[in-house]
Amino acid sequence: MSTLRRTSSLRRTQQRMAVLFTLPALAVYALFVLYPLGMSLWGSFFVWKGLRMVEFAGLSNFSRLFVFPSGARLYGALWHNTAWFFGIMLFQNGIGLLFAWLLFLRDRGAAFFQSVFFFPAVLSPVIVGALWRLLLAPGGVVEWALNGLGLHQGSLTVLGNSHTALAMLIAVDAWNWMGLPVLIYTAGLRQISGQIFEAAKLDGAGNARMLFSIALPLLMPALGTLTTLSFINTFNQFDIVYVMQGVQGNPSYSTDTLVTYFYRLAFGAEGAVGITDIGLALALGTVLFLILSIGTLMMLRFFDRRTVQL
Amino acid sequence: MSALAISQRPAISRQLARLPGWTVLVVWTAAVLLPLYILIVSCFKTTAEIYDNRLGLPQSFALDNFINAWTRADLGQNFINSLIVTGGAVILTIVVSAMAAYPLSRYKLGWNAIMLGLFLSGIMLPIRLASVELFTLMRNLGLLDSLTGLILVYSAIRIPFAVFIFANFMRVLPSELDEAARMDGAGEVRILFQIILPMVKPAVSIVAIFTAIAVWNDFFFPLIFIFDDRYKTVPLAISVFVGQFRTDWGLVFASLAISMAPILIMYCLLARQIREGVGTGGGMK
Repeated sequence: MSTLRRTSSLRRTQQRMAVLFTLPALAVYALFVLYPLGMSLWGSFFVWKGLRMVEFAGLSNFSRLFVFPSGARLYGALWHNTAWFFGIMLFQNGIGLLFAWLLFLRDRGAAFFQSVFFFPAVLSPVIVGALWRLLLAPGGVVEWALNGLGLHQGSLTVLGNSHTALAMLIAVDAWNWMGLPVLIYTAGLRQISGQIFEAAKLDGAGNARMLFSIALPLLMPALGTLTTLSFINTFNQFDIVYVMQGVQGNPSYSTDTLVTYFYRLAFGAEGAVGITDIGLALALGTVLFLILSIGTLMMLRFFDRRTVQL
Repeated sequence: MSALAISQRPAISRQLARLPGWTVLVVWTAAVLLPLYILIVSCFKTTAEIYDNRLGLPQSFALDNFINAWTRADLGQNFINSLIVTGGAVILTIVVSAMAAYPLSRYKLGWNAIMLGLFLSGIMLPIRLASVELFTLMRNLGLLDSLTGLILVYSAIRIPFAVFIFANFMRVLPSELDEAARMDGAGEVRILFQIILPMVKPAVSIVAIFTAIAVWNDFFFPLIFIFDDRYKTVPLAISVFVGQFRTDWGLVFASLAISMAPILIMYCLLARQIREGVGTGGGMK
């Protein structure tokens, strides 16, 4: 009886403490994340005058978003983000897997290489972007090196050329984050039992065979994490574009992304400088929110199903 | 040692077989380190010397560029601002997230799963898309153009990740720990801060490191919320500076070097924890 009373009084104390302990985090998180996000989604159905909601407008912001002239910007940015995602999957996460495999094979010196490879990831993308803008500029050190090696002649204008600028930004982004896949794949490889590789080796499997037939299927959770992270990061791309190509995604919008476009609509500099279109910005925000949440959930599900259990 | 390092082949051919792999790794190491080397040596050169002498060491280790960057761009003030914002956000995030994670992971209450789910969903929420409403909210609360405002926003953004890490580490602690303390008459606040929190030190450092990196590096929120030069953080100042002095390369290189110095030092000291944190804690950015 007394134990029962003690348990139930402990339960009441715990309930009270749980509320008190959770409240500060919940309040900050709800006020500065959940509330503004919810309001943004709701606000995308309204006509706006400056920063004021005027009247309910149904889907009119969305229909404006998908037709000329904003449609051209939207589809351009959507394409750039998509290309960016596949570029990162191939050149960052793909090559990262190769690096992780090589480090796993030799083991010695792995910590050194991992630390060097990861270092750019702790730098602000603003610093990384500014640094590469200087290096890739006409007259910069990359131009000098390419000219010296006879691989290129004259002035290097890759950032000013609308055919190459986006690829350059993707490369800089991959340089920035290459250490991430290396670390995540290495952690994944370490979890695989050495006996599996030993057995494969006795059966005569080479390194390449072991990588693709044994390691890769078992690395599905790591690949899932990286794909999802890359997807979220790619579709939030802003800093590198802003610093290297300006908020318009120069030259002639060829590096424009969904978030740079959103920024111009929300905070000015789209069309006439300083003019904002909050209704359109919130509609774009809602579309981007849907792309991100549906895409992320689908990826998590996809990789969950393909996870091989041992 | 990984299992694969064991091999029956003779030593020399084993070394030869490793050559292509080594080459690839060394090439990428160079691709990471060369730009940083150029950044550092260029800080000591005039713009003319940067053109004449690309890769060599500077003729003299003059500090003019650093002095100019520090004084003309007022990087000192930006530095202090970034330190305040980063320190404030790290402390606030750790305290409130540890407090929330404690009951959610160690009490057996019905709504724990729902609350945890609510927090965890925040790891994926794209908060930048809410920046218009966030701007209005901050304006109404009088938090625009203030370091306090940035601290609150960053904490709010980092709380989901921190709750996730703390809850994962706290869940596996033996329940005898807090039960024994409770028998001795310790209150719940004391149990959390004097018993549980010291037991999850690795979680505290993971949260502290990744919050510090994310907040120190962020550019987007200062760009929207800060207008007054007095409150600009380092990344925001750098972006302005790079545009303003784009032809004075020595000066820009020096400002980049100054702004990455704290992260460089921190990284050299904590590289191991960071590597392991990424391996266990999953993503950051």
